[in-house]
Amino acid sequence: MDNTRKAPSPAPETEGSPYVIEMRGITKVFPGIVANDNITLQLKRGEIHALLGENGAGKSTLMSVLFGLYQPEQGEIYKDGKKVVINNPNDANALGIGMVHQHFKLVDVFSVLDNIILGIEPASLGFLRKKEARQKVLDLSKNYGLNVDPDALVEDITVGMQQRTEILKMLYRENEILIFDEPTAVLTPQEITELMNIMKGLAAEGKSILFISHKLNEIMEVADRCTVLRKGKYVGTVNVSDVTKEDLSAMMVGRDVKFAVDKEDAKPAETILDVKNLTVKSKLHRKNAVSDVSLQVRVGEIVCIAGIDGNGQSEFVAALTGLQKAEPGAQILLCGEDVTKKTIRYKNTHGISHIPEDRHKHGLVLDYTLQENIVLQRYFEVEFQKYGFIRFDKVRAYADSLIERFDIRSGQGADTIARSMSGGNQQKAIIAREMDRAHKLLVAVQPTRGLDVGAIEFIHEQIVATRDAGSAVLLISLELDEVMNLSDRILVMYEGEITGEFDPKTTSVEELGLYMAGAKRQNGQKGGENHA
Amino acid sequence: MRKPEKTGSKASFFRRSAVQSVAASLICIFGGLVVGFLVLLLMAVFSKDIPVSEALKGILIVLSGPVAAGNPRDILFTCGNSLFTATPLIMTGLSVALAFKTGLFNIGAPGQYLMGAMGSLIVALSIPQGSMPAWIIWTLAFLAGTLLGVIWGAIPGFFKAKFNVNEVIVCILTNWIAANIVSWVFYAHQEQFVNIAETKTNFIRKTISNGVSTATLGLDKLFAGSYLDVSIIIACLIAVLLYVMLNKTTFGYELRACGYNRNAARYAGMNEKRNIMLSMAIAGGLAACGAALWCLNGQQDFKWNTYQSLPNVGFNGIPAALLASNNPIGVIFSAIFLRYIDTGGSYLPGETAFNEYVSQLIIAVIIYFAGFSKFIKDFLNKKNNKPLSVSPAPAVAGTAAPEPPDTETKDVPAENPDIQTEDVPAENADAQTEDAPPAENPDIQTEDAPPADGTALGKDGDRK
Repeated sequence: MDNTRKAPSPAPETEGSPYVIEMRGITKVFPGIVANDNITLQLKRGEIHALLGENGAGKSTLMSVLFGLYQPEQGEIYKDGKKVVINNPNDANALGIGMVHQHFKLVDVFSVLDNIILGIEPASLGFLRKKEARQKVLDLSKNYGLNVDPDALVEDITVGMQQRTEILKMLYRENEILIFDEPTAVLTPQEITELMNIMKGLAAEGKSILFISHKLNEIMEVADRCTVLRKGKYVGTVNVSDVTKEDLSAMMVGRDVKFAVDKEDAKPAETILDVKNLTVKSKLHRKNAVSDVSLQVRVGEIVCIAGIDGNGQSEFVAALTGLQKAEPGAQILLCGEDVTKKTIRYKNTHGISHIPEDRHKHGLVLDYTLQENIVLQRYFEVEFQKYGFIRFDKVRAYADSLIERFDIRSGQGADTIARSMSGGNQQKAIIAREMDRAHKLLVAVQPTRGLDVGAIEFIHEQIVATRDAGSAVLLISLELDEVMNLSDRILVMYEGEITGEFDPKTTSVEELGLYMAGAKRQNGQKGGENHA
Repeated sequence: MRKPEKTGSKASFFRRSAVQSVAASLICIFGGLVVGFLVLLLMAVFSKDIPVSEALKGILIVLSGPVAAGNPRDILFTCGNSLFTATPLIMTGLSVALAFKTGLFNIGAPGQYLMGAMGSLIVALSIPQGSMPAWIIWTLAFLAGTLLGVIWGAIPGFFKAKFNVNEVIVCILTNWIAANIVSWVFYAHQEQFVNIAETKTNFIRKTISNGVSTATLGLDKLFAGSYLDVSIIIACLIAVLLYVMLNKTTFGYELRACGYNRNAARYAGMNEKRNIMLSMAIAGGLAACGAALWCLNGQQDFKWNTYQSLPNVGFNGIPAALLASNNPIGVIFSAIFLRYIDTGGSYLPGETAFNEYVSQLIIAVIIYFAGFSKFIKDFLNKKNNKPLSVSPAPAVAGTAAPEPPDTETKDVPAENPDIQTEDVPAENADAQTEDAPPAENPDIQTEDAPPADGTALGKDGDRK
């Protein structure tokens, strides 16, 4: 791969540049870290250019520089060979640069059309003139195959349609450089395929696309070229057709990464968790978020609840762990003991470890130090307190041991304020804490959310290790790769109900996708009872 | 150059958060004084009667606090009284600070203070002199006042925990309820409590009339016959106890966890509702304790028909807590400082053409600046970060940085460039291009994909 190395070329090519956007030698420094170190990115007209890198590799910083959110300390940006200065997103917009953010920037209570024209509303004498805008949107949506209902409210439409609305926003503004920031994270497999086709169509129309991702499969499928960043540095730009997935991941991580999770077949033994007829009311709408779900998890198996975000998985876990109330009639048995009405503290100390979905909301007290967070559920144990006084020496020793065993990296060791740690290391701290607590059941909700392949590999290994050590594992994941790789049994949840049960060895991602989207359901599936 | 690991314990003096908090408070104070001076200057410039030099004289008087009293004996006397009046302010400051630490806003300190005053006065004046030793009466009165405050603070805590009613609303209501209860109770028993002997019918009898007064241990004599007694020492001790409780005990750990992140506290199995109630109850007890210490001095006049006004000392606990960044030890100093400025201000009308409200203005500006204390701390961080940015080990630098770009760009709407540009410099913009080493991790670099180092020019990369 020697010829894949490419360093910034300082020679200016002002005339007839083949690149629609060229970022040369961009350096952006934040306190204590060089987020971008002399990075060059060249985007050809009409290509799909992937930007690949781990968490914290500097992808988002580079795009923020291009989008005018940050000013680089060094480096220049050229548009069509002419040097430009981008001071803010409005400048970027004027240069035809548009961005679909990972979390959409849509007004929920506005219609699709209103969202598209927001900011550049056609008006005369202060009155909106939506008619022409509407026609333009309809034309665009027809030309590019972006199926949307312009009059539907954003809050009522699917995530996929919201994303198409975002794309239409860029097209409406006649942007020709389109940045997609991890666009597939929220989509079902079917929607991903659709998006890939849309991107190819856009490129064929002459739009240039920058595609930020750390999902190698998608890059292999859709991108023409790929620029790889690692730890803020430029690693290289390659033609995707010349390389394999393994090459790309080695460039990204700096070493070979295993994609398949090494694990032996599950040897399920006695039932640890037995949930019967669990119903949870939704806080968002009048329907039940979880309706009448029953399932079991046994020692030595990883059971995964797959499903699209917002189909009741979060509420199911909240009720299971005690964060939310279950409706009467439900029964949660932990090792045969009814813990339905027990406190969270009781569940914590009687065998449930919980890696929460939102590490900032539930998992960590961000303003506490790492060591204080490490003992979040254990500070009251005899080991860590005496007469009500916390034994900070013991806490520190314990934290240091976990930091070493789980390779939690932070600026000031156990004294680091959790807020200042990177997302991956925050997650590692939570994993370390939950894994090391005595537990019979591990509830892991999206344990690898937003992490890079290296960290994902590590966390998957830990989860398999805890299974093999005699725990039951209930995994909730939105990532189908993770679902297929890690679990021993898959349950699909759709609109609060278990609609299917699968063996990962005999099912396919496409099959799961159909169940996750509600297109299919297994007959008589009323939870996990019929697995035995 | 610093060792990469564990910079926390050995961090340079200016990087310690305690030092930064103190420095931030001092900068706030300085800012407040500068603005106060400018106001005096403007008043002098625009007034025909006041010479410009008066502005300088005015600010110096405010700055000199009790020293403005003149002769040494008066200075001592004024110092003593300033310390004495700082005592209830320390207690209400602690009350507000504790609630803040638990994520609650205790604006009910005035009501709790009034209940504390009522409780301690009733007990101190009702138990006949001689029926038991005076120190027992004192202790009972002190405890009664504190207990009433505990109850009064627990009410908003209960509503917050049980029904999620905003504690500010309940506190404001309980303030006025307390003001009226106190008025009614003393109105109904005027002949027993009102100071008729000195014909001060708006005031309650001094507790010394029943032989009850706080021990002075000679402090009053030391400070030239001022009111000073051991209450200031009691207040300081309570502050230290509170500090230890918050920072060293499991209970304090829980309270702070609830304050920082209620959801995480719940997730961790803490009973956050109980903690909210306890926190407010203790906060109420602290404010009431301040009232008891003030009333039981023995020489103080307590105005009983309070139904139209709430005691300022309750509200002033808020600035005392803010200026101290809610640190209990810091509250001691901030409360004394606020009284110091107040005392200086009280000499303005006598000595200059200005009135005493200038000191209030300075305090107000200081509190405004205290709102910027995070910004000031960030600024100090930026200043002192420079040598340290060299320090993190490469491996740490690569992963430990907070990934600011990710969260910033994703969460801020693109339609609003203002927010982004404002946020960024305060948190991240700290250019040390030369100082900081590139984040690279020697461990995980392999030969087949070395990072481009910027000098090596690859000529074939992009066009192959």
